[in-house]
Amino acid sequence: MSAIDDLAGELAKLPGIGRKTALRLTYHLLKQPPERSRKLAHALEVLRDRVHPCGVCGNLTEDPECAICRDPRRDRTVICTVEEAADIGAIERAGEFRGLYHVLGGRISPLDGVGPEHLTVRELEARVSAGGVSEVIVATNPSVEGEATALYLQQSLVRLGVRVSRIARGLPVGGDLEYADGGTIAQALSARREMI
Amino acid sequence: MTLHVTDAIVLHAFDYLETSRIFRLATRESGVVSVLARGARKSVKRFGSSLDLFVTGTAEIQQRPGRDLQTLSGFDLTYARSALAADLDRFVAASMLCELALRCTAGEAHAETFDALTNGLDGLTRVSGREAQVFGAQAAWQLVDSLGFAPSLDRCASCHRVLDRGDDALFSHRTGGAVCRDCEGVARGGRRLPAAARSAILGWLAGAESPMPDAGTLRSHARLLREFVEHHVSEGTELRAYTAWAARFERT
Repeated sequence: MSAIDDLAGELAKLPGIGRKTALRLTYHLLKQPPERSRKLAHALEVLRDRVHPCGVCGNLTEDPECAICRDPRRDRTVICTVEEAADIGAIERAGEFRGLYHVLGGRISPLDGVGPEHLTVRELEARVSAGGVSEVIVATNPSVEGEATALYLQQSLVRLGVRVSRIARGLPVGGDLEYADGGTIAQALSARREMI
Repeated sequence: MTLHVTDAIVLHAFDYLETSRIFRLATRESGVVSVLARGARKSVKRFGSSLDLFVTGTAEIQQRPGRDLQTLSGFDLTYARSALAADLDRFVAASMLCELALRCTAGEAHAETFDALTNGLDGLTRVSGREAQVFGAQAAWQLVDSLGFAPSLDRCASCHRVLDRGDDALFSHRTGGAVCRDCEGVARGGRRLPAAARSAILGWLAGAESPMPDAGTLRSHARLLREFVEHHVSEGTELRAYTAWAARFERT
């Protein structure tokens, strides 16, 4: 196998990159000054060497603790639990949540052989048991597996005397009721709230 | 390319690339098929918000002959079964049923299995906790029955002599069910099946209400069913959801 095939093969394993795009990227790199390829290779190496899960929440970081866990302005009484570290970015972009996070590392999926013991549930329980946490927000995806994971967390955490809440789901902001599908409307109706 | 419209149940779903998802569907006409739903993670425009595990709907599948992965062009939801996520025993039992359907019906049309799976998933939405565990065992045996692998329980699987309902019997996976005392020597291996357990399985296969077994009996049922499925139906493939379902009996 040639070096071109090698790199194209590796690039094609990345999400969103097919065989053709991988080849295009490979030829593009060959046309660039050698320095650019070396920088890319170095950046990849550094990424793997330096980035690791935060020792507290599981977010990706280069330090022992991530920037969110270190930030003294964050509300330490609320923990938002997410499936993957990438979900933290989505919530942070909304700019509304000022608490801490906890990355589960997936969701319960019996079909994929993923049980609660494969997630960081024990670590979350330890954080809550250590004290100072009044609420855990469960922000797993609104899928059947996400809901089952949320239920498991609720049953595990409620014993520790902490409030457990679930993120709401329903109509998207700016959406039009007329164009919403039946499932979304049903969820929005069942999760309706009283107007105060 | 032809458009195939069929009733379908979502058995398994996993992400594919950035925005797409691959679904494994149990269909009434074509057995289990794998379909690619392009953009299903990003937009709910084409597939709705509830294209998820355990749902039933009408699938529009763009079929190309000779391909293992077809394209899902539309999915009209008819029943979401979101209640299956509201109880962990229901959820795990439903996963186990879907796994059995996945492992046992690939590539073949099984209208009876489709109906047995539908009844199993529907029934699970109405029970919870221990009842869901037991209902899971019943639905699993009915699924096995729909595939034509129901064990012989009231007659000897070897000589076909009628077995007394009040007697314990040797259950031989290799022979295909309970065997009489005379045939025990022919049927190598197997497990001693108490009369009550044999009666419970017969009741489950007939869809009858059975007395709630105790935790130890449930564990024995789970072992027996697993051995039977592994011997006759799943051809040695790993049954992960089944393991998770059986593990819940250990906690009861």
